[in-house]
Amino acid sequence: MLEVRHLTKIYDDGTVAVNDVSFEVAEGDFLVIIGLSGSGKSTLLRCINRLIEPTEGEIIWNGVDLVQLQGEDLRNARRQIGMIFQHFNLVNRSSVLTNVLSGRLGYTPSWKSLLGRFSPEDLEKATQVLERLGIADQTHKRADELSGGQQQRVGVARALMQEPTMILADEPVASLDPVLAHSIMQQLELLNQEDDMTIICSLHYLDLVQRYASNVIGLRDGEIAYRGSKTEIQAMTDDEFKEIYGEEAERVGHGLEGELQSTPEAEK
Amino acid sequence: MSNLNDDDNIEQPKPSLVPPFLAAFVSLIIPGLGQILARAVSRGLLIFFGMGTILGLAVWRFILAAPRDKGALAIFKKALRLEPFLILITLIILILYIWIARDAYFAAMQIGSKPFGLSLLFLVVFFALGWQVSEINPVTILTQADDAWPALSKVIWPWERAIEYPEEFISGGANIRVPCTDEALAPTEPVDEAPYVISFPTCGELTAQDGTPGTNLTIIGYNFISGVEAGIRWTDPNLQTFRHRLEGDFVIVTPDENGEFQIDVIMPYRLLPPSRAEGDMIWEISAQQVSSVGKPQASQELKLAIEKIIETIFIGMMATFFGIILAVPVSFLAARNLMSGSQVTVSIYYFTRTIMNIVRSIEPLIWAIIFVIAVGLGPFAGTLALTAHSVAALGKLYSESIESIERGPIEAIEATGANWLQTVVFAVIPQIIPPFVSFTIYRWDINVRMSTIIGAVGGGGIGFLLIQWIRLTDYRAAGIAVWFIAITVAALDFFSAKIRERFV
Repeated sequence: MLEVRHLTKIYDDGTVAVNDVSFEVAEGDFLVIIGLSGSGKSTLLRCINRLIEPTEGEIIWNGVDLVQLQGEDLRNARRQIGMIFQHFNLVNRSSVLTNVLSGRLGYTPSWKSLLGRFSPEDLEKATQVLERLGIADQTHKRADELSGGQQQRVGVARALMQEPTMILADEPVASLDPVLAHSIMQQLELLNQEDDMTIICSLHYLDLVQRYASNVIGLRDGEIAYRGSKTEIQAMTDDEFKEIYGEEAERVGHGLEGELQSTPEAEK
Repeated sequence: MSNLNDDDNIEQPKPSLVPPFLAAFVSLIIPGLGQILARAVSRGLLIFFGMGTILGLAVWRFILAAPRDKGALAIFKKALRLEPFLILITLIILILYIWIARDAYFAAMQIGSKPFGLSLLFLVVFFALGWQVSEINPVTILTQADDAWPALSKVIWPWERAIEYPEEFISGGANIRVPCTDEALAPTEPVDEAPYVISFPTCGELTAQDGTPGTNLTIIGYNFISGVEAGIRWTDPNLQTFRHRLEGDFVIVTPDENGEFQIDVIMPYRLLPPSRAEGDMIWEISAQQVSSVGKPQASQELKLAIEKIIETIFIGMMATFFGIILAVPVSFLAARNLMSGSQVTVSIYYFTRTIMNIVRSIEPLIWAIIFVIAVGLGPFAGTLALTAHSVAALGKLYSESIESIERGPIEAIEATGANWLQTVVFAVIPQIIPPFVSFTIYRWDINVRMSTIIGAVGGGGIGFLLIQWIRLTDYRAAGIAVWFIAITVAALDFFSAKIRERFV
């Protein structure tokens, strides 16, 4: 159970990125955050695992206020929260294996990681995760030799290595084409349904939102502009979507069944 | 003045302050003033300063051409006579003057003319002056190329200087008693194998101070090497050896095919200390040959060059090594993204950058001179000089690669619960290693190349030998040094490219 209460983030230059946002995410939820670029989605997600320091508010996760955590306690909380990024954020020059193993850093003593060593169990786990995601044959390639979809799988693999109970996904498919977008989203859905991980994911496309979300919140200018359940989002029309989302809203297309359309957002 | 644009809606230019002819006239006296009065101020100023520079340079060249003359006219005439090239410059300047006056006239008429012709003329004058100042003289390349050829050919193929044969002195002599007494000296015993000299007679008188010639001796040598020149030498009773001269020239004999020679010599004049100049004295006359014997071996120059090229490579290596060690911490202080935290760190950033820029702008050769003063001649001074320059250059390159690292991977590693150290090891270092390696190898390359020349100012390495041999006009030896430098630099280039390929 994650409870965000009155969360506010004001950057040094005075920009109010997130303004008094409160919401709850139940265990096993698939929460989708929608909103324009610059509406505060990324900041909100990064406040949860404290990559960005919130200015005000509380983030209660399993009874602990994440905002109050420091040092070791913060790192121990972080390692249970996997994170996936729009631009994958892999270390390009390191191998796929090293990138995946770096998900175990929170469990590895400093001196060992200084030497680049991981336990045999970690290696075993990395092999399993890579196989599960279907990129076992890429293990020893350099990360930047992989295609975009494969790189995002490495990103997911790195998050899975943390054995997380919650995954934060910051526009995980915005850099991918529609087919790959669905395949990555299906991976997340699988983690949500089979492994009971809580997923908080920001998305741009209405059909993806309708297909995968169990709950939706919409952000506009850092404030919550929309809350909806799965049934409510199913009933939503394009026009309603555009109303809360702005004119830039796009459908990916008709998903896997329909013909593939090029998306202007894909290059973003 | 002008009614060109009367019918147009375009904004009216302000009329010229002076009539066109006056503008032209004023510009003839002070170039550009006419344009300024015609309200073409920026063009006028440009012409004024351009023309001022040209005239200043021209006056300097004239005075330089006729340094001993007094008075402007005398200097002008003399310079034109001595340096025909100055006539051309004078002509162009005159045309330029007229052109400027014409331009001022048009400016006052408010006929917008493109300054193309004027700019071209300015360029031509500067080009002509530049030609003169840098003393460009293409003819000398053709006329004096022949003089350079002997030196160049030695540099291009210097290898006969790289080997030498051990030399041995072969000599045989005969004793002469001065003056003659009743007791005759026994003639030299003939020996097998070894060379010897027999003199007739075995005693005599030296040439006197007043010029009275001494005794004429007939010298016959045996067992010398045939065909190799032998010098005739005297050893006086003080055991001082000197060469026999005939009318100022050294006397040289060449033994025949049997290794024998015969020559008549007149005993020389020699001033001896009074204590030794009296009584019975034994002199020796000898013939000496220099012969090459044994197997060829590396020459002294080759050995020196090898020794110094090794020194050179190590100077470059050590300078790079110390450069890296010092540049890494410095580069963190000079990286904007790491140092933008507070006022204090920003000041450290600017301070480091400034120092680095100053150090870098001073050539390694100058640093070498400074360090030679500080620590004395030798490779240590050269190492310090290259280190100083390397720290600044590498520090700048390193800090720029730190500035360009991506934030994303760092964020991602932080999100896994990694601590600061782990984040650096897994997200920062992998990003900066390739550029660091690349820049370091590039620097090593530069350092070895620089260390070949840093010896010229006493910083150790092969440069010292190179400069020394060039000054001694020993072009073959210099050629060996040049070859070694070329081979080293080429090899280094090859290997650094290979290593860079692997890392980048």
